[in-house]
Amino acid sequence: MNFLNLVMVGGVTAAAIPIIIHLFHKSRFKVVNWGAMHLLAAVVRTNQKRIKIEQLILLAIRCAIPILLALMMARPMWQGAAGLRGDQPTSTVVLLDNSYSMAAGRAGTSNFSLARDETQRLLGGLPRGSEAYVFLMGEGAGMLDESTRDISRVTEALDKEGAGYGVARVPAALDFVAGTVGNMTEGPRQVVVLTDFQRLSFPVTEDELLGHALERLKALPFPPGITLWDVGPEVTENVAVESVEFSKLMVGVGQKIQIRANLRNYGETARSDLRVTMKIDGRAEAPSQVALGAKAGGQILFTHVFDTPGSHVVEIETEGDELKADNSFLASITVRDRLSVLLVDGAPGTTPDDLKGETGFAQIALSPFSAGNVEQADLIQTTVVPVEALTAAKIGEAAVVVLANVAALADGQLAALELFVQQGGGLLVFTGDRTDPAWWNGAFGSLAPLPMGSLAEDLPEGAPAMGIASQRFDHPALGIFNDPANGNLSDVAIKSWFRLKQPEQNTGPGDAVILARLDSGDPFLVEKSSGEGRVIACATALDSDWSNFPARPSYLPFVQRLCVYLASNIYPPRNLQVGEQLVGFLPAESAGGIAQLTLPDASTVELAVVGKGERGVVEYAQTRSPGLYTLQTPGGGAPIHFVVNADRGESDLAKLTDSEIEALAEAHGLQLVRSGAEFKALDKVRRYGHELWKWLLLALLGLLFVELFLQQKFARGRSKA
Amino acid sequence: MARVSDFLKPSDLQRISNLQVLARQVVEGFTSGFHRSPHKGYSVQFKQHRQYVPGDEIKHLDWSVFARSDRYYIREYEEETNLRATLILDRSGSMNYAGTSAGGVTKYEYATKLAACLAYMMVQQADGVGLTTFDTAIRSHIPPRSRASHLRVIFDELENGRPGGETDLGDVFHELEAKLHRRGLLIIISDCFGETASFLKALAHFRHARHEILVFQIWDRDELEFPFKSWTQFDCLEQAGAKHLLDPAMLRQTYLENLAAFRDGLVRGCRRHNIDLVPFCTDEPYANALAAYMTRRLGRR
Repeated sequence: MNFLNLVMVGGVTAAAIPIIIHLFHKSRFKVVNWGAMHLLAAVVRTNQKRIKIEQLILLAIRCAIPILLALMMARPMWQGAAGLRGDQPTSTVVLLDNSYSMAAGRAGTSNFSLARDETQRLLGGLPRGSEAYVFLMGEGAGMLDESTRDISRVTEALDKEGAGYGVARVPAALDFVAGTVGNMTEGPRQVVVLTDFQRLSFPVTEDELLGHALERLKALPFPPGITLWDVGPEVTENVAVESVEFSKLMVGVGQKIQIRANLRNYGETARSDLRVTMKIDGRAEAPSQVALGAKAGGQILFTHVFDTPGSHVVEIETEGDELKADNSFLASITVRDRLSVLLVDGAPGTTPDDLKGETGFAQIALSPFSAGNVEQADLIQTTVVPVEALTAAKIGEAAVVVLANVAALADGQLAALELFVQQGGGLLVFTGDRTDPAWWNGAFGSLAPLPMGSLAEDLPEGAPAMGIASQRFDHPALGIFNDPANGNLSDVAIKSWFRLKQPEQNTGPGDAVILARLDSGDPFLVEKSSGEGRVIACATALDSDWSNFPARPSYLPFVQRLCVYLASNIYPPRNLQVGEQLVGFLPAESAGGIAQLTLPDASTVELAVVGKGERGVVEYAQTRSPGLYTLQTPGGGAPIHFVVNADRGESDLAKLTDSEIEALAEAHGLQLVRSGAEFKALDKVRRYGHELWKWLLLALLGLLFVELFLQQKFARGRSKA
Repeated sequence: MARVSDFLKPSDLQRISNLQVLARQVVEGFTSGFHRSPHKGYSVQFKQHRQYVPGDEIKHLDWSVFARSDRYYIREYEEETNLRATLILDRSGSMNYAGTSAGGVTKYEYATKLAACLAYMMVQQADGVGLTTFDTAIRSHIPPRSRASHLRVIFDELENGRPGGETDLGDVFHELEAKLHRRGLLIIISDCFGETASFLKALAHFRHARHEILVFQIWDRDELEFPFKSWTQFDCLEQAGAKHLLDPAMLRQTYLENLAAFRDGLVRGCRRHNIDLVPFCTDEPYANALAAYMTRRLGRR
């Protein structure tokens, strides 16, 4: 209970007035020498007890009247059991939605700036000594490291904030701040969630987490009042570039590449001629137009030929709308002038070009132009070495190593190969008649995706050879075979193969993945990640000894795609989401130097290159805004481009409907406000309580009436007696 | 016809201390203008002539008729029996109450003056009048006489008596009955406080002895209206130490109902025994009391 006009509470002492009057009258009585005592005595005798009670009741009512009047004038506020002073410092946690959907707005004012202003007003209105903490939901982190009593520091920091580019998930954010609220010390706690109620921020799948987070908050020793604040009007019009896909896993210099951009119109109005521009390394290429229906997606195709090797940036940009972050999509692509593949021949032929060698067909398939002496660039450059000539140096020069029918490797060779794979190299292993299952399962076991079983070679006479089971391929290397025009794997006839023992159940991410199977169900192609590299093993031979594969049209794309896939493993990744850590690998000699990272806003930061093993590593975690991050190596080599894109989920500005928001608030017992005024009113009620004077006035009038009524009734009641 | 006494409030007459003067003032003011003045005498009412028969008193012969007709006629008058009235005055403590509206006149003072007036008037009419005063017992008893000098005795007794003690009408009246040898008119001047049943029983006893009874019940305005507002301590006039401190406003309604019941009981009882109960309030003129008496007196003729 709290009083706005505390002085008036003193008026409660007016309750003494009726008592004083009563006592005064009683003491200042006059004496009458009375004759008709027999008339009076009978009355007194029969009524004295009741009169006393009635007088007490009347006196109590008369005392209550000035008390009520005084209390009413003191304007009491009821605030529940908490019983707090209105000017008591509070602990306030603001969950500010700075996901990039908040950048949308109306009339040039973004929802975020509305939310920020409201937050500043809210914080500014806190009583002195209050503790505050602002949690930016888009970034999943507090704006300042910890809660502070220096409110001006918070509001100043807020000035610098803009809508971020992350995704706000309210349940997760509430769960996160529960601990912070628990650690705050000042008076009443409150949690205010300022959000645009984007559907994405309240995922259906996280209902349980939301309930859990709220339970955590309510279970605190001082449970906070939780308010949902619907900030800003709903903005529906938005066109987003959702993704960019390349037709090739790896692009070589001079090769034509198709770039496909997926666009989506989230708005209610159809866009008939949306301009879409492709920029390569910041230079605009041929603009194009696309029609997008209301709430419909669309694709647009660009082609490009890169002239220079190295890191390039492709940007697909559409016409602007309010929400700028998803108007363009950036992709970093590494263009190679050549891709060196080291073929290790376990059963070489007599001459290097002899097709009878284990790798003869593969060599031609990987570099068909040079094999045919055609004046066209082969992306892949092959080198064939016998097993005994395999050295660490040769391995280090290659992007992909192919082991074909290798019986066994020396320990040194195996160690070099393991290091190569660990550091991101690709290893492609084919079996053959020389393959030794004992070595495979033993020394080679760390690289082998699956342990090897028996050799399957005793197909009955006249039985059709085993084929590769037809299926839809999800793997990027085999995806092209989903289109029959690119070749058909199912017409390959295989006579012999090793049975790779597939695990009984796939469990972890490090386990081998079976990419393709034979008709018998045995694995045909399996892949396993090892360190930063990948190993793919094939159950049959690379040459034509065990199958007719090299003679099939699908052989060439099969081998090429596998090699390119293994080589395309750019690690660490250069296409990042907002908030993901940016990691760059540099040559070992640059360790200890300073690398310069140019941020999307053209400012630069200097990053120390840390030596880790064989290379220097640069790390940068503050990828808060989407765009191009260019890393300049200390040695002055070619720059590395990193691109950061915002989560496209935020592009769908669809908001929860009002009824859904209300249902949400009601289901979890949360307060819901839609404006600063509403919050102020709620805050006033929460801080000072409900004004009670109206009820007191009613009670007062009621008592006055009761007093009159009782007085009459008592008199009448006695008269009946 | 207006009379002097109509304009005289008891409070004005209070200043006249001499009961004789007061009574003459009141009675003569009251009776002046009556068609049959008491000075002419009630007891000489001619009734008829009848022929003389031997044995009749010669002094009753009407000589003027004899002169005219030469026959003996006897003048016959209505027999005039002298009224024997006894004023029974209550001298109990409760009669000592003086209300505010009566200007300090106690009920007893009112009652004595009333008694004086009645006695004066009766003697004027040659009626015999006696006086009995009582509280818990009979304090004085003056038998009825019609001599003018008797009035002096009555007035002395009235002036010297002081009220006090409790009222017990029932016992007192039973005692008194034995002292009243001849039947006559009993004028009880009292507030009639006390037990109604025993009072009525005593009255019935009187009636049985064929007394005519006239009860002048003396009230103070305060007793009828109970106008007290503030806290008041009511000290009993009859019993020392009996007192009640109370808020009279709270009790007024009940008191009035109790009062009404009491009066109603008295009225019913008196009517049953053919007793005239005349209530008086101490702020009323004495003349009303006399008028009531006169009505009664003439009504008996």
